[in-house]
Amino acid sequence: MHINPILAVFGLGGGELIIILAALLIMFGTIAAVVVFVIWLVNRSSKSPHPPPQSPKRLCPQCGTELPVNSPEGLCPRCLMKTGFESAASEPRRNASAPSLEEIAKAFPQLEIISVIGRGGMGTVYKARQPQLDRIVALKVLSPELSSDPAFAERFSREAKALARLNHPNIVAVYDFGKIVNFYYFIMELVDGLSLWQMEQAKKPLAPEQALAIVPRICEALQYAHEQGIVHRDIKPANILIDKQGRVKIADFGLAKLLGDETRGMGLTQAQAVMGTPHYMAPEQWEKPLTVDHRADIYSLGVVFYEMLTGELPLGRFQSPSRKVQMDVRLDEVVLRALEKEPELRYQQASQVKCAVETISGAKS
Amino acid sequence: MSSESSSPAEFAATRWSLVLSARANDSPGSNDALETLCRNYWHPLYAYIRRQGRSPHDAQDLTQAFFARFLEKNYLAAVSPAKGKFRSFLLASLKHFLANEWDKTRAQKREGGRQIVSLDYDSAEARCNLESNETGPEEIFDRRWAVTLLERTLARLRQEYIVDGKEKVFEQLKETLTAEGQLTSYAMIARQLGSSEGAVKVAVHRLRRRYRELLRAEIADTVSDPAEVEEELRHLFAALGG
Repeated sequence: MHINPILAVFGLGGGELIIILAALLIMFGTIAAVVVFVIWLVNRSSKSPHPPPQSPKRLCPQCGTELPVNSPEGLCPRCLMKTGFESAASEPRRNASAPSLEEIAKAFPQLEIISVIGRGGMGTVYKARQPQLDRIVALKVLSPELSSDPAFAERFSREAKALARLNHPNIVAVYDFGKIVNFYYFIMELVDGLSLWQMEQAKKPLAPEQALAIVPRICEALQYAHEQGIVHRDIKPANILIDKQGRVKIADFGLAKLLGDETRGMGLTQAQAVMGTPHYMAPEQWEKPLTVDHRADIYSLGVVFYEMLTGELPLGRFQSPSRKVQMDVRLDEVVLRALEKEPELRYQQASQVKCAVETISGAKS
Repeated sequence: MSSESSSPAEFAATRWSLVLSARANDSPGSNDALETLCRNYWHPLYAYIRRQGRSPHDAQDLTQAFFARFLEKNYLAAVSPAKGKFRSFLLASLKHFLANEWDKTRAQKREGGRQIVSLDYDSAEARCNLESNETGPEEIFDRRWAVTLLERTLARLRQEYIVDGKEKVFEQLKETLTAEGQLTSYAMIARQLGSSEGAVKVAVHRLRRRYRELLRAEIADTVSDPAEVEEELRHLFAALGG
């Protein structure tokens, strides 16, 4: 009722009405807009494609791989799968306890046993001291079960001699070897430093310069050993040691062959129990173990190289390293050629790998 | 060859070989086998789809739709008998489905209302830890497969001990399934179980042996030839590393 007089006062009755209507519309429109906005927000947060905040990574104390959420029975899947490999024959190997420090000290009176450095499938490594020479060494004692295998004794004397003959700045030196009581042992150079595996646990990937400094040294070690007719067969980060002066030393040369036994048909299962990670093994080590030659080490080197540069293993259809990290693209070819599945297509000599790498990095040997 | 591998006769009875041999014909046995296999191994599929970047909701729809399609006969006609592994086949089928078929079936979200597998999506989602952002869908698929395999094996193993009234033994000893040396001394376990150290050693040996048997049997269910069990084990081990 008031409207008519107001309209009448302002004359433009229609215009006034429109303004009032517009104001009402804006008011309601705003409320509606707010409601719609709120609904959208709620919708969005419930349909979030973002993963839930990740709990801190848990690592398996034994193998170092990441444990998944809700791991089966709380156990490490990788270790579980590894247990699945072992055939009944190797069961005793697993159950036998490693020799105690007292036992070892008694067996090796000429040494002062200081501590245990590491335990692996092959045996145990101790830090020890040779009083006469006043030097610290590594004592590697192989698993006691081996002493019962007659074929092993013969292989041991043959192989260990060849290993002891290896004399190279980038190869962990073997000072002595033999059998005492029922322990097969090696006395070796003790490297005061870290393994590449440990370095990568701390920081992965390495800076390209680091990788480029390490790889040529590995090549030199491999070239030397191959020329002596020895293939490592188990090149992997755990076997590549770097001492406090930054010197690279390869450990466990030829031990894989000594302890595995590929002549026993599908012996790969047994070898597996000894060798551990299959990731670094050349395809022919899986598929045609009897044809394995020094080029298998070159493949393994390729895997290690790839992992150093990218922080990952070259699995399945993997990408070239330069697509993963900032580095010299020319290195792709080197890595990829080392990783060729066919041995014939790889570099045929470790020295060739070294040459290629140093040409690219501009370093001189 | 490991003494634990099955004879060819036993092998014919494993699920995947059953499915493969019944390729051309529809036999109720093979249908059930295939459906069981799918129900057992759908986690890796879901994980793969999620890793591709799809939301949980889309992934659920896709998983259902895929199974509906997969359980029709057309897919199997393409499988050649030599290529034995269910895992590879399932992944290849999924990829094919995602690339080609999804568009067609998008309209009918759940085929004829048939819930192929009643899926516990929440648990699958929780396991989709999206471990590392650099891992691709295929790696995730294989890893999930390996973990699923282990879960099933351990569940069966635990169940056997429960049936024997020995669940406590299983609980005490299950760590020996992964430990190289002994993490907990056998003497301590013996005390917990009111038994002797010698008896514990035997029990551990039996547990590990039975575990291996069940693991291999579980794998055997998904391959068509005894020789492939080792290979599959190796592959899955490799997938879990690093």
